[in-house]
Amino acid sequence: MLGRVLVQLVVVVMLLVFVSTALFVGRSRLRTTRSAWRRRLRAAAPITIVLVAVLLLNSVARQIVPDLSWIIDWNLTDPIHDLEGEFIIWLQAQATPSVTAYFSFMYIYGYVFLLVFPTIAYFALSETRPLRELLTAYTLNYTIGLVLYVFVIAYGPRNVMPELVDALLYDTYPQYQHLTRQVNRNTNVFPSLHTSLAVTVSMLAYRTREPYPIWNVVAAILGVSVAISTMYLGIHWAIDVVAGVVLAYVSVELASILVGRWSVSAWMGSRTLSLRTLWRR
Amino acid sequence: MNCDTTDHVDGIDRRSVLAAAGAGLSFSLSGCVDTVQSVVSDAEDDQISLSLVTVPDDGNRETVRIARHLEQNLEAVGIDVTIAWRSRSEFLKMVLIDHDFDLYVGRHPADFDPDFLYEALHSTYAEESGWQNPFQYSNPTFFDPLLEEQRRADGDERRERIKPVLRALAEEKPFDPICRPDEYRVANTRFDGWGDGHLATRRGYLGLESEADAERLHALVTDARPSQNVNPLSATVDEQGTITDLLYDSLGTLVVTEDDEGVAYDVEPWLAAEPWEWEPTDEIDASESVAETDETKTDADGMLTATVTLREDCTFHDGEPVTAEDVAFTYQFLKDTARGQSASPSPAPRYRGQVSAVENIEVEDDYRLRITVDAGTEVGERALTVPILPRHIWWNEIQDRIGDLENFRAPQGRWGLVETNSVSPIGSGPFQFESQSERTYLHLERFDDHFSRRDDVDLPEPTVDELRFTVDPGSTSSISRVESGDADVTSSLLEAHSISDIPDSSDVERLESPSWTFYHLGFNTDSGPCSKTSFRQAVTQLIDKERITEKMFYGHATPLSSPVTDEWVPDDLAWDGDDPVTPFIGTDGSLNVAAARAAFEAAGFRYDDDGRLRDRY
Repeated sequence: MLGRVLVQLVVVVMLLVFVSTALFVGRSRLRTTRSAWRRRLRAAAPITIVLVAVLLLNSVARQIVPDLSWIIDWNLTDPIHDLEGEFIIWLQAQATPSVTAYFSFMYIYGYVFLLVFPTIAYFALSETRPLRELLTAYTLNYTIGLVLYVFVIAYGPRNVMPELVDALLYDTYPQYQHLTRQVNRNTNVFPSLHTSLAVTVSMLAYRTREPYPIWNVVAAILGVSVAISTMYLGIHWAIDVVAGVVLAYVSVELASILVGRWSVSAWMGSRTLSLRTLWRR
Repeated sequence: MNCDTTDHVDGIDRRSVLAAAGAGLSFSLSGCVDTVQSVVSDAEDDQISLSLVTVPDDGNRETVRIARHLEQNLEAVGIDVTIAWRSRSEFLKMVLIDHDFDLYVGRHPADFDPDFLYEALHSTYAEESGWQNPFQYSNPTFFDPLLEEQRRADGDERRERIKPVLRALAEEKPFDPICRPDEYRVANTRFDGWGDGHLATRRGYLGLESEADAERLHALVTDARPSQNVNPLSATVDEQGTITDLLYDSLGTLVVTEDDEGVAYDVEPWLAAEPWEWEPTDEIDASESVAETDETKTDADGMLTATVTLREDCTFHDGEPVTAEDVAFTYQFLKDTARGQSASPSPAPRYRGQVSAVENIEVEDDYRLRITVDAGTEVGERALTVPILPRHIWWNEIQDRIGDLENFRAPQGRWGLVETNSVSPIGSGPFQFESQSERTYLHLERFDDHFSRRDDVDLPEPTVDELRFTVDPGSTSSISRVESGDADVTSSLLEAHSISDIPDSSDVERLESPSWTFYHLGFNTDSGPCSKTSFRQAVTQLIDKERITEKMFYGHATPLSSPVTDEWVPDDLAWDGDDPVTPFIGTDGSLNVAAARAAFEAAGFRYDDDGRLRDRY
C-alpha cells in the first residue's frame, strides 16, 4: 500500500519537475550548468551536509519527542480550539468534491513538488546564493519546528472536531494516511511545517523573481494552496498556519543573514595559508 | 505526574494563569486538577469547573463525538469544562494510574461475566491504581456486600443477586454506561473459518484454513500500542488483552458461541488437560494460602475447590517446562507483584477481580494443583482465564529490581515491573514474540511446540507460520487494505462511521461478533462536585444516549442503562427508549436547558446572576 502510494508520488513529482524545468529554467541555463556544476556543488555542499544531518537527527528525534512532550505536557489543543472557534468548520462548509480533490492534490503532490523544484531551479543559476539560502531556510524550518514540537502537544482539528466529516483527507483518500504517518505524528501540529516550508519557497521565489518571474507567480499560488489545504483537510488549525508563516519568515530572514557569513573554503584556505607561512619561517 | 501541594500552580489562581497566557492559552499545568480546583474554589469566583479527559480521533471518532456532546451540554448548564486530549496510553495513565481527572469518556473493556463490576466498584480498590476502581468509589457498607454476594452465587440465584448491584449502580453512578458498539470487523476470504472464534480472543486467530496454504496472517490494528509494549501486566497498553491471549496460555479459555437463543460464554479447558469439577472446600491449609489479608480464612464455608490437571510436557517459548509451580506463582504474583519484598503488597493493575476470587492454591505435583475460590463456579471459572506467567522470568525480574532491600519500594500499579517493555514476553501460548517496530508492527511466530498442535488434542491450532499485527490508524483505510488483499483481517473493531464503507465483494467477509465492551462516562468520586451522587445523576441526564447511537454510531450501537450483557439486565432497568433511572432532559438531541438547570438546583447547587453553576450551596 505504502509502496504504491510512494511510487505514484515519485512519478507525479518527477513529471512536474521535468515540465517545470523545461518551462522555467530553459535550455541555456541548463547548458551553463553542465559546465559549472562542480563549482556550484562545492558551494552548496556544506549546507547540504548540515541539512541532511538535521533531517537524520529529526527522524531519530521524532521517536523520542512525543514521550518528552507528554512529560512537559503543554497541551494546547483545547486553548487553540477555544481561541479560533469555528473557522475550520466554516472553511469545510465550502467543500465540494472537486475542491477536495484539488486541495488533496496540493497537500500531497503540490507540496513535494514545491520543495523539490527550487533546488533544481536555483542550482541552474550561476549565482549560488539563492540555493544556499533555500537549503539554509529548510534547515532552520526543521530545527525550529522540532523544538516547538517538543514543547507543544496539540491535536489537529480532524482529531478533535467530529463535525468535520465531509472533506477529510484520510476519509476521502485513505491511502495517503500511510504516507503522511511515516513523517508526521498526530500530536505535532503546531506549527504547520507544511505551511512553513511551502511559504519559505514562495518567499524565496519572490526574491528570485528576476531570473524566474513566472515561477514567482506559480510558487505564490502553490504556497497559498498548500497552506489552505492543511486547514481545509482538517489537519491544521488556522493558528498553526499563522505560526507556520511566521516560522517561514523567520527562517528566510535568518537564512539571508547567515548565508555567506561563514565560508568553509575561506576557512580552509586561511588554514592552509597559515600552515604555509609557518612552513616558510 | 506527582500532584503534591508544592506544585508550581500552588497559590496561582487558574484564571490568572489564563490571563497571563494572554491569548487564552491555558496550559494544563502538569494536569494537577485537584490542586487547581482547590485553588479555584478558594477564589471569589467559584464557578464549577471540570476537566474531561478523552482520546482524539485516530481510531476513536465516536469517543470524541460523545465528549463534545457532553461538553456542549455541560457548558449549557453553566459548568466550565476543559477537555484534556490524551493519546490512548496517556489517557489510561491519567485515568487509571494517576486518577487525575474529574470526568472521562472512553471504552471500557468490561468482560463476558458481570463480575468485572467487583473490581470496578469494590471499595477495597478505591485507593489502588489500575483497572480496579478508577472512580475511587467507596461505599463499603452498602455496595461491597452486594458485590460479594453475587459472586458466591451461581445460575438463577446469581442473576437475582446481581439485580440489586445493577439497580444501585444506576442510582449511584460512579460511572454511567452510554452504549455498546456493535462489533464489526472485515476479513479477506483467503482464509476460511473466520468467526469460529471471537477475534478479541485467542481463538479468533486459531484454526483458520487457507486454500493456498498461506504462511502469514496479516492483521490490522488501529492502535499503535501493541507495537510498543506487550507487557501482560500493564493497564495502559492493551484494553482487550488479545495479544496477551496469543502469547500466553491460561488454564481455561473463553469460548463464545452464538445461536438463536442468544450468546453463550463458556470457559473451557485450555492449558488444563481436562474439565475441572468444583467441590465444596473441606479445609484450607493456611501455609499455602494466597489470600490477601494476613488472617487467612480458615472457615471454608461456601468456598469451592477444583483440582486442575495441566497438560504434560508443555513448555514456555524459551523451552522451560510449564508446571503447577508456574500457575501458583502467577496467582500469587498478580496479587503482589513485589512478592512480599515491599513494605506493602503491590497488586497488578489488571486481573484484580479474577485473582481476588482465588483464596488458596495447593500444588500437588508438577501437573496437579488444587485451586480454592471464595466464589461460585461462574466467578471461579473466570479466575482461570488469567495468563500463566513463567516463574523463572518474572522472579528474576523482581530480584533484579530489589537490589537494596532496605530502600525497596514497589508503588502499586506504577512501579517498573508492571509498566516496562523490557521483560521478555515469553509465555507458552500458540504464538511467540518475534519482533516489533514502534508504531509500525508487532510480529509473532507460531510456537511449534504448542499443545494444540498435538495429534491427540482436538483444539483449534495456529495454522500460519507468522502472525503480523500492522498498525493502521484509520478504519476506512483498513477496510480497503483487507479488500485489496494487502491484509487479512481487522483485529480492532471498526469505527461506526466506516461500517457503511464495507464493500459488497466476494473477497471480503463482514464479521459481526457479540460484544461486551461499552462506552461510558467515568466520574472521579473522590473529590469536587463529582463526589456528590446527586451531581453525578444530574450530569448523566445531560447525555442523550438514544441520539448518540443514532447519530454518532449510525445505529451500530445499543444504548445502555446497565453495563452488563443483556441477559443480566433486570426488566425494570431495561432500556425503554430512555434511561429508566436518569432519562435525558430534553428531546431529539437538544437539551431542555431550563429543566436541566433545575435538576442541578434540585441537586443542591445554585446559579449566580450570570447563570454559572456555583460550588457553594
